Amino acid sequence: MEYLSLFVKSIFVDNMIFAYFLGMCSFLAVSKNVKTAAGLGVAVIAVLLITLPVNYLLNTYVLAPDALIEGVDLSFLSFIVFIAVIAAIVQIVEMLVEKFSPELYSALGIFLPLIAVNCAILGGSLFMQQKDFLNIGEATVYALGSGLGWFLAIVSLAAIREKMSYSNVPAALKGLGITFITVGLMGIAFMTFMGISL
Amino acid sequence: MNTNNNVYTVIYTTVIVVIVAALLAFVSQSLKAKQDANEKAETISQMLTSAQYGTKAELDKLGNAAKLDKYAEEIDEAFVIDLEGNVIRELNTERENLEVYSPKELKRQNYNIKGGANKTAEPELPVFVFKNGRTVVPIYGAGLWGPIWGYISFEKDSDVMAGAYFDHESETAGLGAKIKDDPSFQKEFVGEVANFGSSNVIEIVKGGAPKDAEGKSEKDNKVDAISGATMTSQGLDAAIDTWLGAYSKYFLNHKGQEEHCGNCQHNHNEEKEEED
Amino acid sequence: MDAKLKETILNPIFKGNPITVLVLGICSSLAVTVTLKGALVMALSVIVVCGISSLILSLLRNTIPGRVRIIVQLVVVAMMVILVDQVLKSFEATYAIDKQLSVYIGLIITNCIVMGRIEAFALGNKPWPSFLDGVANGAGYGLILLIVAFFRELLGSGTLFGIDILNRFGYVPNNLVILPPFALILLGCIVWVQRSIQKDLQEK
Repeated sequence: MEYLSLFVKSIFVDNMIFAYFLGMCSFLAVSKNVKTAAGLGVAVIAVLLITLPVNYLLNTYVLAPDALIEGVDLSFLSFIVFIAVIAAIVQIVEMLVEKFSPELYSALGIFLPLIAVNCAILGGSLFMQQKDFLNIGEATVYALGSGLGWFLAIVSLAAIREKMSYSNVPAALKGLGITFITVGLMGIAFMTFMGISL
Repeated sequence: MNTNNNVYTVIYTTVIVVIVAALLAFVSQSLKAKQDANEKAETISQMLTSAQYGTKAELDKLGNAAKLDKYAEEIDEAFVIDLEGNVIRELNTERENLEVYSPKELKRQNYNIKGGANKTAEPELPVFVFKNGRTVVPIYGAGLWGPIWGYISFEKDSDVMAGAYFDHESETAGLGAKIKDDPSFQKEFVGEVANFGSSNVIEIVKGGAPKDAEGKSEKDNKVDAISGATMTSQGLDAAIDTWLGAYSKYFLNHKGQEEHCGNCQHNHNEEKEEED
Repeated sequence: MDAKLKETILNPIFKGNPITVLVLGICSSLAVTVTLKGALVMALSVIVVCGISSLILSLLRNTIPGRVRIIVQLVVVAMMVILVDQVLKSFEATYAIDKQLSVYIGLIITNCIVMGRIEAFALGNKPWPSFLDGVANGAGYGLILLIVAFFRELLGSGTLFGIDILNRFGYVPNNLVILPPFALILLGCIVWVQRSIQKDLQEK
């Protein structure tokens, strides 16, 4: 039951995009059509699902004070370790995508390596550090939930943008401008979830 | 040179990681003493602010040495208590090796209070009593992006708050960061009465705490939240409840020492306001 | 100065602005634009970090193995930022500055502009142009940050740099403005204005 509430909470209440506004750059830039958006969404879920449990283990058994050797506090390394792990995983995902789906690879362009600096991913690890999860199961469920939340957000924005290409938007506002405004309005709508406790 | 060669890649990565780790470890070790000294002076100035020895800006104009001097001069006694409110040991208050609780130590105690997998020992909670009669206790918890902590001071042997100072690691500037940057938020705590013994020692209320006829906040246990910073306000509320909850027995034991408190608290407050 | 270098410096400020054209660094531009002071601190840090990390990685560009380049880039950037943080933290005179900055450390390291410019420019260009490109992109980013922060602080708190401007005339600060969604709407309007002037940026 606890896992379920954590899962639902991390998708809707703690939505990475609309509650914390993390990972916006690729979210805005790669949401022109649903297919590419879904591809990036899956990549983000995959990266979160691997990095969060790995970082959880590192944080608990290596970096925390007294974890590795009594009296040694390695927490000053946590930032760089998290980032190195994320970068390594992103690099692997990049190579896999390039190999198995060259089409998606070229569609994502620079935003594939930029998943590494996608704040949603590092944010996930830092939130994990802060939420004091009791075991690796919780960390994994949280990773899956926040990844799915990100996926839902980017796919729904892409769907709106696909529809919007048929509407009569002022020329200078077309594309990026109207997307910014749309996301702002979606964010306001998502505020209804704020403060709901599960 | 073929930079895509496997051996080269592995060696290159190893060298980079070793250099970076060594550099960071070296820097962090060699500068640690200086950083700790700065942090200690900062902690002291936060406690002095909370006990109303001046505003944070005034205290920050003093150098590190002067802050330590002032603390050594003004501290009456400092000790550590357990959850039952019993004194376990004294803290050193001599100028040269005075003991305060750094945010890192507060984090450890926070785990100990909350229990669970991260608990390492029974909680050891510090209490600082200053010569102006005010008792300062720390709080610690999670904000939106990172830890938040602070110091709350109480009038002598009572549950009336005399001041508060909060700090944070990475809350949003202009929103959550207001717990530190906005003196008027901290001022709201002055005169409020902590409800020791309940699970809601202090309530941070969204949309406005009850006001009296003059539009001032009522002297209850309710404080206005920061608008737009829901998560930080909630985190601060939880941190205060957890920590003051842990101190409850200590404060309830001491409150009894002043018998006629029901009426005198109010007068006491007014006197203080005039002094200020 | 030859025309190409001039182009490298001027382009990111307006025509190729990292936020409104390249869509980089959005997260931090939502987080730090509630107050002008925060925006200024962040803008200056990003200019410095972006310039220096572009310079370093451009120097290393021929030695970095392609398959681990992301790790190398991030580790170098993160190390630099953390080192500066540690050093500032150790001196009494700079401790107060560090307390202001440390809030933004995470946002600086994960700022896509830093890594975006390394990927897109520094890895393929000589050190000097890379450094200029980094600085110019930081400046272009800072410009947008300051514009957004100006409106958000003025309308959201009634102040500028913490000094009361509107409140004395009985202005009631608008809380919607300090929430992140409004920053997005403002950015949308900035894009609108920019593309009305610079017609070739308009999307079909």
